[in-house]
Amino acid sequence: MEIELLEIRNFLAECMPFSLLSDEQLDLLPEQFQVRYLRRNSAFPPADNKDKFLYIVRSGAIEIRDNEDNLVNRLAEQDHFSDCEHFEQDEQRGFAIEDTLLYQLPCKNVRQLRDQSDDFDRHFSDTLSKRLKDAVRRFRKTVDTGMAHMAVEVSNLVKKKPLCLPADTSIQQVAQAMSEKDASSIMLLENEELVGILTDRDIRRKCVANAMDVNSPASTIMTANPFTIEHNSLALNALIEMTKRHVHHLPVTQNGRVIGMLSATDLAQHSSSNPAFIISDIRTAQNIDELVSASRKIPDLQVQLITASVSALHIGDIVSRITDAITTRLIEMAMEQNGPAPVDFVWVAGGSQARREQTSHSDQDNALIISDEMQPEHDSWFEKLAAFVTDGLNACGFVYCPGNAMASNPEWRQPLKKWKQYFNNWINKPEPKALMLSSIFFDLRSVYGSTTLLQELQNETLEQSRKASIFLAYMAANALTHKPPLGFFRRFVLINDGEHNEAFDIKHRGIVPITDIARQLALSEGIPATNTTERLLAVGRTKALSDEMSENLLDALAFIAELRICHQARQIRRGLATDNYLSPNKLSELDRKHLKDAFGVIQEMQNILEHRYQTGRLG
Amino acid sequence: MWPFKVNVGAKRQKALTMTDAPVMQAFLSSPVADKKTDWREMDIVAVDLETTGLDPQTDQILSIGLVEIKQGSIHLNSAWHKVVNVGSDIPESTAIIHHITDDVIAEGESLAEILPELLKRLSGKVMLVHYAYVEQEFINSACLKMYNAPFVIQTIDTLPIAQRRLERRNHTIQPGNLRLFNLRRYYNLPDYKAHNALYDALATAELFMAMTTEIAPSGKQKLGDYLN
Repeated sequence: MEIELLEIRNFLAECMPFSLLSDEQLDLLPEQFQVRYLRRNSAFPPADNKDKFLYIVRSGAIEIRDNEDNLVNRLAEQDHFSDCEHFEQDEQRGFAIEDTLLYQLPCKNVRQLRDQSDDFDRHFSDTLSKRLKDAVRRFRKTVDTGMAHMAVEVSNLVKKKPLCLPADTSIQQVAQAMSEKDASSIMLLENEELVGILTDRDIRRKCVANAMDVNSPASTIMTANPFTIEHNSLALNALIEMTKRHVHHLPVTQNGRVIGMLSATDLAQHSSSNPAFIISDIRTAQNIDELVSASRKIPDLQVQLITASVSALHIGDIVSRITDAITTRLIEMAMEQNGPAPVDFVWVAGGSQARREQTSHSDQDNALIISDEMQPEHDSWFEKLAAFVTDGLNACGFVYCPGNAMASNPEWRQPLKKWKQYFNNWINKPEPKALMLSSIFFDLRSVYGSTTLLQELQNETLEQSRKASIFLAYMAANALTHKPPLGFFRRFVLINDGEHNEAFDIKHRGIVPITDIARQLALSEGIPATNTTERLLAVGRTKALSDEMSENLLDALAFIAELRICHQARQIRRGLATDNYLSPNKLSELDRKHLKDAFGVIQEMQNILEHRYQTGRLG
Repeated sequence: MWPFKVNVGAKRQKALTMTDAPVMQAFLSSPVADKKTDWREMDIVAVDLETTGLDPQTDQILSIGLVEIKQGSIHLNSAWHKVVNVGSDIPESTAIIHHITDDVIAEGESLAEILPELLKRLSGKVMLVHYAYVEQEFINSACLKMYNAPFVIQTIDTLPIAQRRLERRNHTIQPGNLRLFNLRRYYNLPDYKAHNALYDALATAELFMAMTTEIAPSGKQKLGDYLN
């Protein structure tokens, strides 16, 4: 059958929500449309349209404004605007900003299509929160089985130099050798040929439990002729063989010769994609160079975790824990050099590390809270500590804080009483500029030392902050400084003032606003959590935030964080430096749509804060 | 230029006396629109023909496309496209332009089958074309051959409207300026890749709507101001 308006059909097939229809439905679509022409500056929807329609821009552009004349959206080619679902149809009006050719579909036809197609219907009926949840879930699905990390050859996982002894060695001698080498298994040879393996479990179950003579040869309790695996087999196959054969150890061979032993633990450590490895390397590092080389693995780890479908928020947690480990190891090294601390102290992380939301190569924010017993002469010890640790973190890729919010800055290396003063000033005599800088310190978490020092500070601060209405208003104003984009217009990002850019900063226009909102709400409710997700969950149980808004903000954060970390993973894979600049050109139609939903949630919450605290009056 | 310009009603009365064909009689006795009516209250049919050449006496209609404007909107459900089985080979020179090949023609219907349907669709309506000569003269010639009466219809031609607009602005008109394709660019209208009678009819309808918004951005738009 010839489709007369094939070109129009094909155009519509590219446009949401019609792209959700089947081919057969698309074939019947063009004839249901009407075509209108709007001259630049004429009203949209067209003034003489008596019925209601769903509109698609075929060429040209339309601007939508709310009843207070705020820019809400701009529509370009392929964008749609539906008047069919609006209850208060007068709320959003617009006009053509270019000469525009419009396709319009009567609402009754839209309703028919909704009856005919579930996907099409869902586009209209799904709530914002459902759409956001689906969007987050979709990310998890696209990374296939989550077993990508198993596609590595076993030779990469085996520890070198296998522990081997002749098969006639006594059980006791074998056990001694295993203890010395800290090995859980041993290979037994006869004439240089592998004849069996012996594990901790064999010794326990077959020898000790049966009160067997420990001087018997090991061959009496070994697993003879064990199954072996070739060095170039995939880790996944090794896992399958172990599971099938109920064994925890597989000798690895190369050209018929044994080159090592692969244990279930090796596989497990690899499959959790090595944060445990990296952290163990960090713990045993003897000097800065070893720490640096361990921390170099973080970007790759981040990519592996994404491939293994670990969520962005969990990755933030893992990277923060690694930074904690590096910090701790640096403090230990400093103490090895400079001797023990003269008085109690706690090393605290600020900013993203405190919130457990770091990505590889965030900058460092930290401070030292020292016991009030501190004497002036003690500062040189803490100064040396701070210099050593901040330099070390910088060497490990966590660059110096550009705002100098670090323990190496004497201002942020103070006894508890001084910190109490700081917070007292911030809370009771708030100044917008100082607050903006100090917002780092409203996210603090102990990394090393006497956690009670920080607890005491936080107890006092939270008690004060929840009652300090002016302070809370300033924090609310602070949470409004970073506005999300309105949406997308052609290949540009549409900003509130009508400006558009080719790329946008997903951190400052997506993540920071949510982080700031969560901080303000947590402080207003006296909630001690620092992690944004935990804060939003906790505040969601109070009157400060509705359940629905709490969920929507959480989903928006999860989605935006996911987009950001995937963007950075692509850069790491290509060997580029990571940044936060996303170009709408590179986003799928669906991601653009979900991102717009997420921006909408942030905007709504910012409006709520603006009204609640009348931030406009702060000047 | 057109003999029917002065009084379509009178011309139709005269033409009615020349034909016995009920189809032609019905067409010629359909009401004629008052020139003072706003065109947006009228049904306007944008028509385009593909032909084997420009001489209505010797050349033939290959295909007909049309689409209606009602209340100022093009209704795509009125889209109608017919290929005429002309019963003879298509010269390569024209086949290249409109992509109507012998195979396509063979699937078409005869003009005798198509013409009554065309007249029905134009009954009581205003015809909209770009460069009226082709459509007017080829349909006229077909009507004279089949029904012995001339094709009399109120016509809007976007070509002279565009010409007047350019002249009023003291533009020297360059060759190609008045082509449908180039005029559409001026109004930010998209390109259609397909080049057939239906898309050209649609393209003409969109061009006309764009032109009227420029000529009379608001207020009443009298049909008479646009009629040929």
